Amino acid sequence: MQGQGQPESFVTISGVTKKFGDFTALDALSFSVREGGTLALLGPSGCGKTTMLRCLAGLETPESGFISIAGKVVFDSAKGINLNPEERGLGVVFQSYAVWPHMSVVENVEFPLRVRGISKEERRARAMEILEIVGLGQYAQRSATQLSGGQQQRVALARALVHKPALVLFDEALSNLDAALREHMRLELKALQDKLGFTALYVTHDQGEALGLAETIILMNAGRIDTSGLARDVFMNHRTIFAARFFGLNVIDCAALPEMADLPAIVIAFQREHARITRADGPAEDGNLILSGRIVTRSFQGLVDEYAVEISDRVSVRVLDGDGQFAPGEQVKLVIDRKNLFLLDH
Amino acid sequence: MQAGTQSKDKSGWAWQRSLPLLGVSIGILLIIGPFMAGLVRSLLLWVADDPQVSLANYAWLFTDRRIQTAAINSLICGTGAMSISLVLGTTLAWIVSRTNVPGREVFKTLNLIPFFFSPYVGAIGWIFLVAPYSGLMQTTTATLFGGPIEGPNIYSLAGVIWILSLFYTPYVYLFVISPLQRMDAAFEDAARVHGAGFWTTVRLITLPLLQPGLLSAALIVFVTSAGLFDVPLALTATKGIRTMPTEVFALVRYPSDLGRAAAFGIFITAVTVALTLWQRAHLAKRRYEIVSGKGYKPRVIELRRSGKIIALTIEIVFLMTSVVLPVLALILVALSPLWTGKFNPANATLANFNYVLFEYSLTRQAIMNSLFLAVTGATIGVMISGLQSYYLVRVRSAFKSFVDALLALPLGIPGIVLSLFFLIFAIRTPLYGTLAILLIAYIARFFPFATRTITAMLSAIHPELEESARANGASWGQTMRIILLPLLRPALIAAWIMLFIIFIRELGASILLYASGTETISIAMLLLSENSVGYVAALALIQLVLLLIGFSLFRLTRAPVVQ
Repeated sequence: MQGQGQPESFVTISGVTKKFGDFTALDALSFSVREGGTLALLGPSGCGKTTMLRCLAGLETPESGFISIAGKVVFDSAKGINLNPEERGLGVVFQSYAVWPHMSVVENVEFPLRVRGISKEERRARAMEILEIVGLGQYAQRSATQLSGGQQQRVALARALVHKPALVLFDEALSNLDAALREHMRLELKALQDKLGFTALYVTHDQGEALGLAETIILMNAGRIDTSGLARDVFMNHRTIFAARFFGLNVIDCAALPEMADLPAIVIAFQREHARITRADGPAEDGNLILSGRIVTRSFQGLVDEYAVEISDRVSVRVLDGDGQFAPGEQVKLVIDRKNLFLLDH
Repeated sequence: MQAGTQSKDKSGWAWQRSLPLLGVSIGILLIIGPFMAGLVRSLLLWVADDPQVSLANYAWLFTDRRIQTAAINSLICGTGAMSISLVLGTTLAWIVSRTNVPGREVFKTLNLIPFFFSPYVGAIGWIFLVAPYSGLMQTTTATLFGGPIEGPNIYSLAGVIWILSLFYTPYVYLFVISPLQRMDAAFEDAARVHGAGFWTTVRLITLPLLQPGLLSAALIVFVTSAGLFDVPLALTATKGIRTMPTEVFALVRYPSDLGRAAAFGIFITAVTVALTLWQRAHLAKRRYEIVSGKGYKPRVIELRRSGKIIALTIEIVFLMTSVVLPVLALILVALSPLWTGKFNPANATLANFNYVLFEYSLTRQAIMNSLFLAVTGATIGVMISGLQSYYLVRVRSAFKSFVDALLALPLGIPGIVLSLFFLIFAIRTPLYGTLAILLIAYIARFFPFATRTITAMLSAIHPELEESARANGASWGQTMRIILLPLLRPALIAAWIMLFIIFIRELGASILLYASGTETISIAMLLLSENSVGYVAALALIQLVLLLIGFSLFRLTRAPVVQ
């Protein structure tokens, strides 16, 4: 962290608006990233996160706003500044990797150095060095088309890092990998970042990826920031209906159930783990919210069972419960500790 | 198929096996038969009425100065046309697929028109435009500026290259536009964000990624340009400048020496086959996927005002020079009772059309012959090609890639060489001098175009659609009739129209095989070109109208033009 002083803003995005025809992809978006920091833009598809990344890279031109990277203004609609992508000095890992099939692995990786006019010996040496770091040293001479998805991803990563860019952008960098490989790459990326000290911006729709990689998260909705903050905080403390839905909480409209009419909120939300199922004739439990319902389905999830519980004909919730043995059709009570309830009004 | 339930299954199986094989066999016979005839004839030498086996024809071939000159001229034409159409075709494809040039959707279609036009007619149109002293441009500039401005001489190799380039640019365009449109934009974006400027990206990323398509297009344009008979005949043959195809023609006619002509034909065939096989092997190594499902489409580049003007200029100049101006010249000549290099609206008349359509038996017959050849030839060709495609896509066979390569061979062999072989094959048979031999030569030369079109579509139809029909009790014949043929119909129609268009304008494969009474439109134009330019222009326009009808129908089928 930056210590006591003002957090230095290394990447500044201010009032960036981008439209495609009538559709507003980015609506006066503003945020900043500190030097060496990691930020994830998280959100469902169509929320504008990829458009934001492309505006940063210079691949899309916003209608208005201001973007500066490492002290350099790369876009300023007021002053008519709009640097070309190649003038912004970035590294980017694309979702499709975009490893060039007509070049070998090492040719791919040394490309950023080649177009910067660095001598053949030096660029070969630097490319080999970074290939060793990502664990592809022995594949340097292979044709890029002979690599697996995970290996291509490492090539794309090496290419994005070889010229020591101040800022590296990752567009759904891990979403094309299978689960085991993704977890492995996630740890490796973190280690690499600690070692090389670049500032990173991740764009992802996957909350696990965002939580694992980034210290701060911006949850985006329809071109605006819905929630932002430290990763843990964004994940644990839901302040909006959109965030609660996005993170997979049970969200219940208070007007739909008479027992919640007195709550000072429009909806309540709770984690699936935070509801306990008891028998309908079980003891009354004070201080908790009690909802009666009927088990609709039960599916085995390993250590726990996931139940779909119908509370009224319009409301049904999903609950994870480990020890109860409840069968579909059974009348039950859901017990939710009030401290685990999120009362949301927007 | 058969009425008896017992034999139904067995006979269905027999049909399923034998019909596709029949199509393949006909195709192979159409290639091997004439080639063997040419090969045998090239090895024979008549000494005092006795044929002897000899290599004398080949010995002559490699020492004769005329042959060398013709080969060099063809090389110049092929290389020149290839270079210009590569640059022009790629530029046009890039403009309409990647920029916001006004009217890009319209230009996408218009750029294809020269592909369907006849280079021979284009050459004639350009003669009317810029022939020394009598060309429209010369007479117009003479009236406007007081003296004619003589452009470069059209009766030259440069003239041939110019016409060939205009008409083969759409080939390159076709090969390049699809990868340009569908390529994963991230390939180019990745270059840009990692430090490459626009032109560096074009040079290091875009063009290398297009390389397989560019190479295929380059080879086709080179081989076709070097082997095309029509344009050198119209522009340089009378000036004593010969290319390989016009030299073959000369060897058959003045004086006739079929042995030497055959040796030359075999040599040309060997070279084109070698080139084609090299390209196949090269491409097999470099076939990589540039369309990734996860990627996004390339961005449209917002041109500035100056960029828009440049792009529009390139488009308009291309369409004017390849289509509008030559057709305009043809119209003016066809409407004039006597062509003097100037058009006088007061004298405009349809007499030339009336004459070639109704009065002159040669031209009337020629139009009927061309229509008969085109309709019959396209129908038979599509049937044979359909069976071949079924074999290539659906039948399991160890020889498939060999058969595939073999059946594609006629694509590179010049029409006049193939018709020379057919001439040797048929000269002492009753086939000689009939429309049938023309029909056979046409099909032999051009069926691969249809086979490719149909194969492309058949590969995209999942076999499960047929298998589920079989599983539900349909026989093979019923499955073909009720399931596959309706699904394939667009490709069959597109292939039919493509063959129709090619046959209507064909000259190189006809020139050695026609006889009195079996002239085609292009042959009639050639025969009349010496003294009756009005009739030639009228005939050319009638041919263009037929081609244009074909082109419009082709667009209606929405079938892509297959390379």
